[in-house]
Amino acid sequence: MPISAKAFQRWLHGIAPETSASDICRVSGIKRTTLAQQLVRGKVAETTVVSISRAYNVNPVSALAAFDAYSQLTDTRPPSRSELVSQISTPDLLRAVLARSAADPGGVPAAAAAAGSPALEPAPHATSVKNWVEAIDDGELRHRVSAATGIAPQNYSAQLTANRLAPELAVATSLAAGVAPASGLVATGLVTEAEAGWPPGARQAALDSLSDGELTTLAGDRLQTVGRALRRQEHDHEKTEKIWENLG
Amino acid sequence: MIEILQWSTLTVCGLVAIARVPSAVRGKNRTLFYIFALMTLATLLSIRAPYLAIDQALGGVNLANLLLRFVIFAAIFFVGIRVTRGFGADDAHQLLTGRIGMAVMGLTSLTVLVVFLMMDTGGSSVGLVAVAGQDDKDRDLVQYYGAAGRAYPAYVSLVLLPAMVRAVHSTLPTLVRIAAFLLGTGSVAITLSLLFPFYPPNWGAATFLINYTAILCFVVGLALIAVARLRHGRGGTRPRTSTAK
Repeated sequence: MPISAKAFQRWLHGIAPETSASDICRVSGIKRTTLAQQLVRGKVAETTVVSISRAYNVNPVSALAAFDAYSQLTDTRPPSRSELVSQISTPDLLRAVLARSAADPGGVPAAAAAAGSPALEPAPHATSVKNWVEAIDDGELRHRVSAATGIAPQNYSAQLTANRLAPELAVATSLAAGVAPASGLVATGLVTEAEAGWPPGARQAALDSLSDGELTTLAGDRLQTVGRALRRQEHDHEKTEKIWENLG
Repeated sequence: MIEILQWSTLTVCGLVAIARVPSAVRGKNRTLFYIFALMTLATLLSIRAPYLAIDQALGGVNLANLLLRFVIFAAIFFVGIRVTRGFGADDAHQLLTGRIGMAVMGLTSLTVLVVFLMMDTGGSSVGLVAVAGQDDKDRDLVQYYGAAGRAYPAYVSLVLLPAMVRAVHSTLPTLVRIAAFLLGTGSVAITLSLLFPFYPPNWGAATFLINYTAILCFVVGLALIAVARLRHGRGGTRPRTSTAK
């Protein structure tokens, strides 16, 4: 939480002057004790800024950009195609594979199939953080993030596996990869696609632009990852059951 | 200080054993109840007053000490079997129940028994201190007797240790990993007890501390797994998969 309480209060005064803390909390749905605690500790959570911005019809990304730690967010580059695709959930990808093969059993390329396909689930999805980082990783990304922010590689990986990423790390990851700074905030679910300036339908368009081969390979990779995670879970479950059976 | 440790260990063991009675009656993992009951008995026999009382009843020739050794052997054997089964350490299980395990158990049991018979054990005395003080021969025999008595538990502990280290680093539920850590600590403590003869004489308190730490770690560790199961059952279902909505 690199937002200082002082800077936060200055910002708050800018967007909601003359408003009491309790009114702000009521409008933005933040618990009063939570806000008070953050102010006392001198560090305000990014989610607090985002909730208040939404309540006062301010774009959360530009609101965050007002703080020193997030000044890079003023750069509103559009997301890359692979980033967009990374924010499509695995079930949606699989549906797209099925829809294409049903629409065109011959297996002739894309575009035609898209029409009438159901809307994609909004980002983020169950593995969106990891998929996003994989989409922008050139192989050295994790090292660069770890060097830039000082986070230990294993802690970084643990966050990705848990589908979490602290906002400052998300932005640092974008910077290290040279992609749009707000993408990571979309992948972690802090802000929506629209708030980050992604054009409506951008993910669908990115999906449609994938060739059948690309789409099928991608869906296959995702499916394999899900399969591995499930297998690991089942294995752990079996081991735990065995312990209960013998020692419970 | 040591008295407090002894009686609180006895209390913990006794309470855990009592807590296992209902499931033992239902026939669920009855071995665990036996383990706790044996450990309670072992703790009782290691405390001065109950030891003297029980030994007097057994004829005042320190038969209670021999009993204590075999109670410990039985307890640690069952702990070894249950834990290796539970944690899926098949190789360790084989080392305990296979030919090697049986040979180690037979050999140590026989040594304990023979050395006991060779000693002049008249006159109840906790830890055979009075027996050791009689003459040089008895002093040496008490040393051998103690060493043999600690050898089998140490063997089981060493067999358990790798599996416990693996379990601590695994992705099992946190309480189970804490339990594995306690069982591992108990194993280390028992192994350390093997080195008692080499401790400086003024480390008497350390030997007590290590013995009771080992018992407490095993009892609390095993009890914690049962607690973990209860919590797991109540906390409910399996963790959600990444495709679950």
